[in-house]
Amino acid sequence: MKVDRRSFLSFVIGGAAGTALSPLPWKLMDDSSIWSQMWPWTPVPPDGEVIYEDTTCSLCPGGCGISVRKVDNRAIKIEGKKGHPINDGGICLLGLSGLQLLYGPTRIKSPMKRMGERGEGKWQKISWKEAATILSEKLGEIRNKGEAHTVAAISGAGGGTVPALLQRLLTAYGSPNFMRMPSQSSAEEPVLKGVFDEEGRLGYDLENADYILSFGSGILDGWGSPVRMFRANSQWKDNKVPVIQIETRLSNSAAQSSRWVAINPGTEADLALGIAAVMISKKMVRSGNISGFRGWKRELLAGYPAEKVSETTGVPVDVIVELAKGFGSAKRPLALYGRGKGVTAGSLREISAITALNALSGNINEEGGLWAVSQADYIRWPKVDTDKIASAGLSQPRYDGAGEDSSGLAQSLIHRIAGNINGEEPYQLQALLVAGANPCHDLPDSQGVNAALSKIPFIVSFSSFNDETAAMADLLMPDHVYLEKYEDVPVCAGLVKQVVGLSKPVVSPQFNTHHLGETLITTAKMMGDTIAGAFPWEDYETCLKETLGNKWDSLMETGVWEDSDVNTVAKKVKPAPLDTKIVTAEGDVNSFPLLLVPYDTIRISSSYIGSTPFMVKTVADTIIKGKDGFVEINPQTAEANGLKEGTIATLTTPRGGARVRIHLVHGIQPGVIAMVRGLGHTAYDGYLADKGVNINDLIGPVEDPSSGLDAAWGIRAKLDKA
Amino acid sequence: MGTLDEKAKDVMDDGVAHTGRDKDTGAGGLIILFFIIGFAGSMVLGWVVFPKLLYSQKQQPFNFNHALHMEEVDNGCESCHSFREDGSFTGIPKLAQCTDCHEETMGESEDEAIFVEQYVWKEREVPWLSYSRQPDCVFFSHAAHVIGAEMDCITCHGHHGETETTRPYEYNRITSYSRDIWGHNISGIAKNTWDTMKMDDCAQCHKKAGVNRTSSVQTERDACFVCHK
Amino acid sequence: MKEQQHEAHVKGEQKQDRPVMRFGMAIDLDKCTGCGSCMVACMSENNVSFREDESNKQDSITWIRVYELTNGKSYPDTEVCYLPRPCQHCEGHDGHSPCVSVCPATATDYSRETGIVSQIYTRCFGCRYCMAACPYHARYFNWWDPIWPEGMEKYLSPNVSPRMRGVVEKCSFCFHRYQSAKDKAYLNGEKRVAEEAYQTACTQACPAGAIVFGDLNNPEHKVHKIVQPDPHNGNKSKNPRAFRLLERLGTNTKVYYMSDREWVRRAGDNYLAHEETGKISKPHH
Repeated sequence: MKVDRRSFLSFVIGGAAGTALSPLPWKLMDDSSIWSQMWPWTPVPPDGEVIYEDTTCSLCPGGCGISVRKVDNRAIKIEGKKGHPINDGGICLLGLSGLQLLYGPTRIKSPMKRMGERGEGKWQKISWKEAATILSEKLGEIRNKGEAHTVAAISGAGGGTVPALLQRLLTAYGSPNFMRMPSQSSAEEPVLKGVFDEEGRLGYDLENADYILSFGSGILDGWGSPVRMFRANSQWKDNKVPVIQIETRLSNSAAQSSRWVAINPGTEADLALGIAAVMISKKMVRSGNISGFRGWKRELLAGYPAEKVSETTGVPVDVIVELAKGFGSAKRPLALYGRGKGVTAGSLREISAITALNALSGNINEEGGLWAVSQADYIRWPKVDTDKIASAGLSQPRYDGAGEDSSGLAQSLIHRIAGNINGEEPYQLQALLVAGANPCHDLPDSQGVNAALSKIPFIVSFSSFNDETAAMADLLMPDHVYLEKYEDVPVCAGLVKQVVGLSKPVVSPQFNTHHLGETLITTAKMMGDTIAGAFPWEDYETCLKETLGNKWDSLMETGVWEDSDVNTVAKKVKPAPLDTKIVTAEGDVNSFPLLLVPYDTIRISSSYIGSTPFMVKTVADTIIKGKDGFVEINPQTAEANGLKEGTIATLTTPRGGARVRIHLVHGIQPGVIAMVRGLGHTAYDGYLADKGVNINDLIGPVEDPSSGLDAAWGIRAKLDKA
Repeated sequence: MGTLDEKAKDVMDDGVAHTGRDKDTGAGGLIILFFIIGFAGSMVLGWVVFPKLLYSQKQQPFNFNHALHMEEVDNGCESCHSFREDGSFTGIPKLAQCTDCHEETMGESEDEAIFVEQYVWKEREVPWLSYSRQPDCVFFSHAAHVIGAEMDCITCHGHHGETETTRPYEYNRITSYSRDIWGHNISGIAKNTWDTMKMDDCAQCHKKAGVNRTSSVQTERDACFVCHK
Repeated sequence: MKEQQHEAHVKGEQKQDRPVMRFGMAIDLDKCTGCGSCMVACMSENNVSFREDESNKQDSITWIRVYELTNGKSYPDTEVCYLPRPCQHCEGHDGHSPCVSVCPATATDYSRETGIVSQIYTRCFGCRYCMAACPYHARYFNWWDPIWPEGMEKYLSPNVSPRMRGVVEKCSFCFHRYQSAKDKAYLNGEKRVAEEAYQTACTQACPAGAIVFGDLNNPEHKVHKIVQPDPHNGNKSKNPRAFRLLERLGTNTKVYYMSDREWVRRAGDNYLAHEETGKISKPHH
């Protein structure tokens, strides 16, 4: 039989008719449309049982209670914990995006040792046993040479048992060089020691105050415990409490205050003293709280007449008088101290002036006032038994010279580390342990810090994340992140009451990491003798339970322990002499006509915990555009320098230079330019690295001679069109 | 060359002649025959071969006897497939629920032995393949149907509780949906309410039950968010 | 017989328990601090994807976005206000919101029962007509496949479908939370979802307590008490502090903003020099 054309066509037509009457085309069409709308590579999150587990957030010093929503074993969302004494359900964007840190690509997934050159990024995975052996052998070697003091440790700003264990390890080992990164607590030390003449911390009874005078404190930019500040701010709005924000730049805090008082940068102390003088002359003060009041008053009235203060600060006389009247006549006024997030200490002069203002209003240790309270002291371990080598090491001077200055106001002067290492004094550091800190990015003069660290022969990082300091390390022994571990979270952050939160594991460790507390105890045990003897606990959890004692049960139950019955340490204020040195910005006016000031925003993390992808996503395109960072400049100044919105320019300071883009804003004083803290990372991941400029590359420490602390608030700068 | 050409022409002429001759007798039949072959072939392809190609089969980890379990429990389906405190539905039970009874083997069955040895003792969840899983874009509330509308399980799941074996899990190679969504009849026609689980089936049942509201501005039917997420 | 009873039951329930709800928001701009928590709360609740460079804000997906408004005055009289903008869930006239009216795919819909404008991703074919129609830039197109860095897909929530490349997405007022709340209400034999049982992720997270969410039709709900919508005047608020964005377009939005500051209220719409806020003529449809 031959198949001719007609038969073939007939076959095709028959086939077509049959096909049309079969489900093939229709079902195929349906299925392909489904396929095209549900690409198989789009993830389908598995369903399961939803449970909530409560814990404490320790990503910042705020100490918020959080509820983690889980589906089976996966943590899927972090929410604020309702009824928690600090945040009562509210939560900030860093806390919300904690799961991006837990599951994110920035985690260090196992212990590693460096293979290539420093900073090259070549690592070899090793076992925990090998890592601990490397560490303990290296430390043993240095110690046997009688150079125990040449080992230093840098810890993050947080308190609690883990930093205390690190410090204890150092003490038992024989090194005095335990240093902390700058924090609100470290910034408060000089206030307590220098002005109250006692040790302790500051508490602000914000919720009960009825007049707030903020000297540049970022009430809404991350100062103190951020969520508590947001809640307090809303409460002030409801109760019509005046909030006066004194600042050079219209920050978020200034924008939402009841009044923004624009001031010349670095003159906050003058304004505070000027207000004090007006209050005194109008007899609106309670003098009893100031020691040596008569002499101080005489000097103050003579040295700080409103006209002169107005000239220095740029605040009109009538405004100064108005502020004095407002502050003086309010029932429970409160002045806040600490620029931006409050993590850098101001000058003693500024601290003293603002504290004196509070004392003059009679609010010290009063409702709605400033409280000087003792530190939470639940860590009561037996004194370390030091052997001969340790005692010899401990008798050496501290590397940063803290505690030896005439003032002795600060326990840690970490900003000196770069200068000292690079200047090779007082001795050479042999090893550095870094935990919960990222000094290579976060300390001022970061280029100096990097150069200095590269001279230390052995660096160990306990960081959970691929930060800049971990990139410089020789040995990585990654810690769990907060959602994977038990840890105490003592909250200071400007609270009046004592609060300790408990961090609990809500998911099992995602990678081959170890609890830092565990690593420290293991290391101590491996080193034996008195060092092992200083760590009598079987493991970290035992240590934590024993340390917290009777608080443990309530912490396990509610997640937070609080004590409103605080011990106040002082009431009388001893203001610094009025001739205390003024801290000025580095650089000379002629070569650097502009003034660069750093600013903080809650949307960008400026500490060891890097900003998450979600946080970076919220950052405006006038702060980051592609890889470029922006400087804020007043249109008037921009015009005078031939700069327009978005122009690329070179920003130069005495410390360094950077390529920036210009953003014109009216809310900044002419002649001043501002740049955000927390950008310009080189490590972490592609969501954070290589965006913007690290302001610490451009700014260096300026030491306040009266306290030894870094009191830099800005630096001279110039902008050239690129 | 010339001869060959001529021959070829002869053949062709012959062919033409033949066709011409058969025009009124056999050609129509042949055309119809080819039509029928084409038609029948494609029908077979579409109705029989296509479904076989479209769907792939997977075996369940081991056999599960629903009928047997139904005899043992007091509360029917809900004994194992229950609601959680938050109103969500557990679906296929987790291992923990099974181990309440099956910490050790209870019977003689080979499947139970697999279960206890491979899963209970090793504390592994059984990777059951869910026949009734709707795609990710669907929000289905068991609470609304079972508690709210007091429907029974059979309406949608059929007599699954009476089965003694677990049939192979079939899924669509293109969409990766379970075959139960479209139904086992490739034409998509359902005899029973549980035969298919498509969007139209939801809509039809809602209409029948009178819960069809006109909250949607677009369709004057149930709003999209009632069943979608 | 049994089936008939069944039907009757369902019908009865429908009549008694289906009051018309209009979910909406009141956002106090004087309390909003511009911190961005609402944005991140939303992104983490709703499986919003992210990329390495999100600085091109035109294609950066943020269901709720915080805008910065300024009074434009020079130093030191400058003022700044932050305005969080979720989908405004326009009711328009009888649910004919700008986007719903133009969608050729029935992918976006207005529910008369909840007042929520829905978006069904699997239905959307990405023509972006709705984006052109939306006066608030509340809709976003997925130009890329959603890709999470390895391991991070672990935090994705099963309650919200991840979107695929080529479709439009937007704020849903966390409708999945309403679904979950409804499930729980069924289980507890409650007829209605309580006010506190259904709150959006942004409302819940806002550390300043600036967002209030609830049923605008329910006089018991806080949002109703704050907004006091006037049904005889296009749902305009009777609260003198309140305004809506581009109110005079007649979009009849369900997100209300509040501020004591006149310049902020003026920023919500286009006004002629002599016009005052708060004296808006009845919108005509």
